[in-house]
Amino acid sequence: MKRLIQVTTALLVGALLSAATVCNGEVVLTLALNKSFVKNIRNKATITTNLTVDAHPKDPHQIKDDGDDGDIHMAGRDSLIQLPLVAEILNARREPTATQLLKTVGIQPVSVSGAWRIWFEHLGSVDQIQGTPAPTPYPKGSNPDHLFEIHPITSFAGIDVLDSFVEIPGYQAYSASKAFPYYDDTDVTIQASDTAIMIAGGERKYNYADFVIELAGKPKDVGDGFIVLGNVYEATGSLENPVSPIAHRMVFVKGTPPAAKLLTMSKGETGHVLGIPRVNLTEIFLIASKHGTTPVSMKLPYEMIIAAVLP
Amino acid sequence: MAGIFGSTVLDVAIGLVFVYLLLAILCTSANELLAGLTKSRASFLKKGITQLLDNQPIGAAKDQTNAFLEEFYRHPLITGMMQGNKHPAYLPSRTFATVITDNLAKSRLGRLNIEELEAGIMGMPDGDVKQALVALVHTSGDDLDSALTAIEGWFEDAMDRVTGWYKRRTQIWTLIMAILVTVLANADTVHIARHLWRDPVLRSAVVEAAKTRAQKPRPSVTVEYPNPDDPTNPTITSNEGSTVAPEESALLGQMMGWQGSLTDNTARDWFERILGWLITILALCLGAPFWFDVLNKFINIRSAGKSPGEAAKRPEKKKLAPADKSA
Repeated sequence: MKRLIQVTTALLVGALLSAATVCNGEVVLTLALNKSFVKNIRNKATITTNLTVDAHPKDPHQIKDDGDDGDIHMAGRDSLIQLPLVAEILNARREPTATQLLKTVGIQPVSVSGAWRIWFEHLGSVDQIQGTPAPTPYPKGSNPDHLFEIHPITSFAGIDVLDSFVEIPGYQAYSASKAFPYYDDTDVTIQASDTAIMIAGGERKYNYADFVIELAGKPKDVGDGFIVLGNVYEATGSLENPVSPIAHRMVFVKGTPPAAKLLTMSKGETGHVLGIPRVNLTEIFLIASKHGTTPVSMKLPYEMIIAAVLP
Repeated sequence: MAGIFGSTVLDVAIGLVFVYLLLAILCTSANELLAGLTKSRASFLKKGITQLLDNQPIGAAKDQTNAFLEEFYRHPLITGMMQGNKHPAYLPSRTFATVITDNLAKSRLGRLNIEELEAGIMGMPDGDVKQALVALVHTSGDDLDSALTAIEGWFEDAMDRVTGWYKRRTQIWTLIMAILVTVLANADTVHIARHLWRDPVLRSAVVEAAKTRAQKPRPSVTVEYPNPDDPTNPTITSNEGSTVAPEESALLGQMMGWQGSLTDNTARDWFERILGWLITILALCLGAPFWFDVLNKFINIRSAGKSPGEAAKRPEKKKLAPADKSA
């Protein structure tokens, strides 16, 4: 009996560990980014690259809710980001010149600038490693499996679309009380090597959230935008209870209407906005730098790109 | 509850995982305490800065090979970060670049420009810093901002190495702490499992404590912004899940320790004990967050599924209170 107990003890943890892992059936994929790339963009609002557009839909999305957001997206590839890549023009019907030009661009790369965005939405089934050639052509056409986006675009082939950062008429975004607890409950594992930072996580949704921010600090000019800490509240609720327990970084792109509005606000003031979540690479970089090859499991650090000021 | 999931085996496993979690928390706390006492981060930073700035004389005193380094540490921006003789644990790259450029162009009258910076560099006696700065400035753009950015990058690359040294030191000390905690507490996995198996009262108490622990935040790193006006400069802190409660310590005391006479132990007893220690040490090296996640999974299995409202908690951070509106 004694020996049985000892053998059982020795096998117990391993066996049940395996069982526990199997019980958690979520698909988890890894995004591997060059450390220097992360270092360069972590405190930037935007990124600029030369994009070879592979595919795009004929018309912008319809406007209703969820994915019917009025954007027009394009799948492409580039030599800077070197990941499966999708770029999206917000409020595309407001930008007929850029949208028409998109239809005429051929295989020549065009300059595209916009807010960089990493989000585990279109996860697919294969890990994405920066530098690995993207499949040619993308199997899913204009909306391939991708974790990196330029979204919203601020300039397409030299055409300025900064004025697209306004309310999407008729669009029903996710409420703050639905979106932020969901974002807050995202498990990721962060690990670094000498040259790369790996982020492993499961699928995440809810592209657009409608919320009120309360500035918790002063905006910091990061060259191409402003970053400010903000507490988050339900748009229709009181300012007593934030929907997320912590203040998040809010990213405003220079030259957009939200950035203009931000510059008129002081610490403690509130504003009703439309935002898009993205991974907070500043926090990821910090954790990866400190813990290195030791994996760190934690809730996903994220920040919000402010896409519009709402009434 | 029927079947294996309701059995003693699962409860013993939960007990072991609970013990590993608490001991791993103790190891982490001891490691952080040691790092604080030895100021290892600060000493690594000092070593990194010394590597960058030594072997560089200034002015006519060409035999003073560390004069540039000493001048760096005499700058008011650096002395302002010192607490007495204590070296700071962190140094912003912008401050580093500002001090370097300021020391190179002390004789200027107004705002520094790129020509004055280049003249300051070329005016230095030959040395490692001069060679590095010449390379940095000549390969950056033609403006001061580009030069400053290049110097910042030089410093940040050095800080990556500092982080690597610090990380390796932390890994070594994590193992040493795991060995110390395991042996000092006699945390013998075989003995603990046997104790839990045979003592249903203790087992029940441990499972209840484990359930309570599973409701606490994950003992993990938490990123905070100490200065709400600087959202680009976060720091890592521990959260409230990273402490062991007195009642948890009391439970640990019931499962391990050095009771009885060691002289009565047979060779077989020692073999089992050392095997048990080794299992514990290996477990502790996996870290508290790992065991917290495992504990949550086991508790969920035991409860036959987690309700949506019981999702794992995010490490708690305080809401940042907005400061005065005049800012």
